[in-house]
Amino acid sequence: MHGVIIMATVKINGKEITVQDNTLILDAARDAGFEIPTFCYQADLMGIGSCRMCLVEIEGQKKLQPSCITPVLHGMSINTETPTVISARASMLEFLLANHALDCPVCDKGGECELQDMVYKYGPHKGRHAEKKFKFQEKDYALSPVIIKNSNRCVQCQKCVRVCAEVVGANVLGALGRGDHQEETSFFRHFLDCDQDGNCIEVCPVGCFMRLPYRYRTRPWDLKGADTVCPYCGTGCRMVIEHRDGVLIRSKAQLGVGLNSETLCARGRFGCDFASSTERLKTPLIRRGGSLEPASWEEALGYIKEHIPVNIGNKMGGIASPRLTNEELYLFQKLLRDIFGSPNLDSTARWEPEATEGFIKATGMDEGGVSVFDCMESDSVLVIGSHLSDENPVTDYIVRRIKNTRRMSLIIASPREMKLDSSATIKLRHSPGREAAVLDAIALAVNAGKPSPAEGAALKDAKIEDLIASAGVTKGAVEQIAQRLLAANSIAIIAGMEFLRHPEGIPELGLLKEALKSSGKKVLVMPALDRANQRGAWEMGVHPAFGPGYGPVKDKGLGCAGMLEAANRGDLDMMYIAGADVAAMHPDEEFTRKALLKLKLLVVQDIFLSETAKLAHVVLPGSSFAEKEGTFTNQEGRAQIIRKLLPPPGKAKRDLDVIRAVGEVYDPSFGPKMPVLVLDEIRNAAGMYAHVSLAFNNKRNTENKLDNRHALVQGSATSALSVTRFSAATTEPEGRFHLTTGNHLFHSGRFSRRSGTLLGLLSAAVVEISEKDAASLNLKSGDKVKVKGRHYEAILSLKTKKGSKEGVAFIAENYDDVPVNRFFKKGEPAPRVDITKVTY
Amino acid sequence: MLSERAKKEIEAALRKYPNRKSAVMDALRAAQKDKGHIAKDDMDEIASILEMRSVEVNAAAAFYTMYNVDRPVGKYHIQVCRNISCSLLGAEHLIKHMERALSIKTGETTPDKRFTLSTVECLGSCGTAPMMQINDDYHENLTEAKIDELLKKLE
Repeated sequence: MHGVIIMATVKINGKEITVQDNTLILDAARDAGFEIPTFCYQADLMGIGSCRMCLVEIEGQKKLQPSCITPVLHGMSINTETPTVISARASMLEFLLANHALDCPVCDKGGECELQDMVYKYGPHKGRHAEKKFKFQEKDYALSPVIIKNSNRCVQCQKCVRVCAEVVGANVLGALGRGDHQEETSFFRHFLDCDQDGNCIEVCPVGCFMRLPYRYRTRPWDLKGADTVCPYCGTGCRMVIEHRDGVLIRSKAQLGVGLNSETLCARGRFGCDFASSTERLKTPLIRRGGSLEPASWEEALGYIKEHIPVNIGNKMGGIASPRLTNEELYLFQKLLRDIFGSPNLDSTARWEPEATEGFIKATGMDEGGVSVFDCMESDSVLVIGSHLSDENPVTDYIVRRIKNTRRMSLIIASPREMKLDSSATIKLRHSPGREAAVLDAIALAVNAGKPSPAEGAALKDAKIEDLIASAGVTKGAVEQIAQRLLAANSIAIIAGMEFLRHPEGIPELGLLKEALKSSGKKVLVMPALDRANQRGAWEMGVHPAFGPGYGPVKDKGLGCAGMLEAANRGDLDMMYIAGADVAAMHPDEEFTRKALLKLKLLVVQDIFLSETAKLAHVVLPGSSFAEKEGTFTNQEGRAQIIRKLLPPPGKAKRDLDVIRAVGEVYDPSFGPKMPVLVLDEIRNAAGMYAHVSLAFNNKRNTENKLDNRHALVQGSATSALSVTRFSAATTEPEGRFHLTTGNHLFHSGRFSRRSGTLLGLLSAAVVEISEKDAASLNLKSGDKVKVKGRHYEAILSLKTKKGSKEGVAFIAENYDDVPVNRFFKKGEPAPRVDITKVTY
Repeated sequence: MLSERAKKEIEAALRKYPNRKSAVMDALRAAQKDKGHIAKDDMDEIASILEMRSVEVNAAAAFYTMYNVDRPVGKYHIQVCRNISCSLLGAEHLIKHMERALSIKTGETTPDKRFTLSTVECLGSCGTAPMMQINDDYHENLTEAKIDELLKKLE
């Protein structure tokens, strides 16, 4: 790849241009400003040149050539608008229409259909085919709870099949048959057991793949949209959300826009309907005589004023969700620190503040943003501590897509099988929670070539033996990984949420990074985060140990767990929880409820009556991502704008206004009032944001430059972070399975449980184990099983995974019917469980 | 279910290729030998042997007309060419004649599962048109009388 770039000069429609050799004629022509229509071409997919819409004339060649798979040659003269080309386009369209259903009046795609647009533009406006149309089917058929199919409208571009195989990696669609009888569908039209991300729908130029939840609900021209950012994981996908009559109807991605281009996952594409849920909180609530009663804002704020004295100090604590915008989070910490004088702040109920601080330091978040595209330019990429395919599906797509187009190695270390494994050069199945041992062993193997004088080689060998035994891996695999890393000049590490679940791995992450750097490698580390604005929450200083921009704070306060313990002891009287469902997400549910109930005042700001809100004295209705402006900072450190589509429902307010209203009760000048003004203040307070550009890169379809680098945050000059060493966690001795948790592909956090569509994909809780374990227990996928731990037992359905580590059971963290936090007990070793078949 | 013979044939085919997927054509041929067509289960089984998705096997099989995908055929599969040379020399009449003789339409199988009649594109034997293929054998320079004789022999 390195070396001299060869250029080629060609003439397109008489205009002379110079482009890199090997550029496709199509790309060169579009760059030069000429329009060439296509169906089957898509920048991110391998070219197949099948639709023949992009035919062009090359001087000296008798036949027209498909410009989407023909590279330029120096000296070529290309014409894109000759009479031959124009009549060829019309003929191609005439053939496509020969069998096309032409049922536009009842087709959901009508109005945004590429075939409609092209026929309108390029003709022919009359068909000559007298034959009876070939039909694949009489009635549309559902391929999944979110996909409905009408093959009679297909133009055989195969984009659905290719996006499924090359980008999503699910590979469940095929082009069956040939010629005009070719149908892109599933195996025998079976219901799909796939990612349900609907990327096949998005890339479909016609009304062949359609969204089932959107069916017959509206016409595209009746929708109003806002260009925003997905509220689910930390990947930070750009998308357009659209409403009709105040109901959020769909979200869609845009080709060539945002780092995700035309892709989204199931949560992003189908899960945003939670914003229009009928269960949304529409009015403030105050606890009166044991129950929560509707109240006015004046009453609610008055109640708060009456109960919380100004400068209450460390008797008060605040938790703000990483689903809030940077502006809201900044104002929230300002409220707690400046108005109430409390250092007790956290942005999550799930992790220890020492763990998050160490993780930020070890992944170098305080050193500025790291683009995922830069990571994928590396010679070797190591994914560890993340079930990337489920937790950050679109990051998984980006990794797969780029990995398949260049020479590089991809190493995946995870206890559970994941879809990305099929693209991995090496996959390592280690015991859960043993990232520390894995990293240590790799670091030792990396350094094996240069033994340090202090440590003899024999001692090192013994140490490696211990580590691989603890990690449950083989020495050969670790050595293979070390070889790959040593052979690479540049390495990227993608480190996920497991490091926060098992923080003893955090220092080792830093150590491996240093070991590789000292061997002269270029090392990038990118965190893989599971909440849309988790990084933003930390960078706004919603943390007990640091302020905005990771700067130092006067007093260090308590994190979420510390606050709950203090509340339980009676040392903390009041809490303001914005958006976080502590009762449902904090490990050890029983203790959490007990602690929250001891508070003298619990103020909860949320969009639903969450488990935590049910315990509150005052509930303030906030807004969803669709009802406010602001910025999210994704896992890479890219700050992106979210935009308002709808007003908050009922009397609910924008979260920024709620936080400000609480502040104004004590200081009428508390603010600023507008998100943009808060952002200005953030730019001053946190130098990392001083030069961040929020200008959207909004060019459609002409280029594929997805990496908007101006949006990346800078390094922090005031960072004062330290890494805490955690002792290795122990696990209970009894029980066959080590219980692990995390996000499910269809569900993450609490919002997804309010999305009707996502519940339709998966409503009941599932426990996942390896196929081998299932076979030895005489169980199979779909069986009802009892999962029994020491503190809790539940009945779930079983899902088996072929390549997962044996002895590991996984239950996602957010099922309402099986709260996984009931299996965990404060201060006790990690739970083990037994799984048995339930027979009725 | 694939027969043991078919499985052995697939194993042998696997040795010819650097990766497993490449053996898909051989595997499909081996499966079709078993019972004249390729059933859904066979494709699932081939997919798991070759570490592919069933739909990929299906896509490969459905592309080629000589694979009878999920389409059981009779003991004798009659494939009549109806491309230009054969048609000019009366293929259409021969097809009609066979439809009458077997009391089935093109694409159908006789109730006794002995004969399936299909039409195919050029089989590369234009010099001896009109022609047809019954199972693995070519029958050339056909006339109605010749066909009657052939069918009789097969009954």
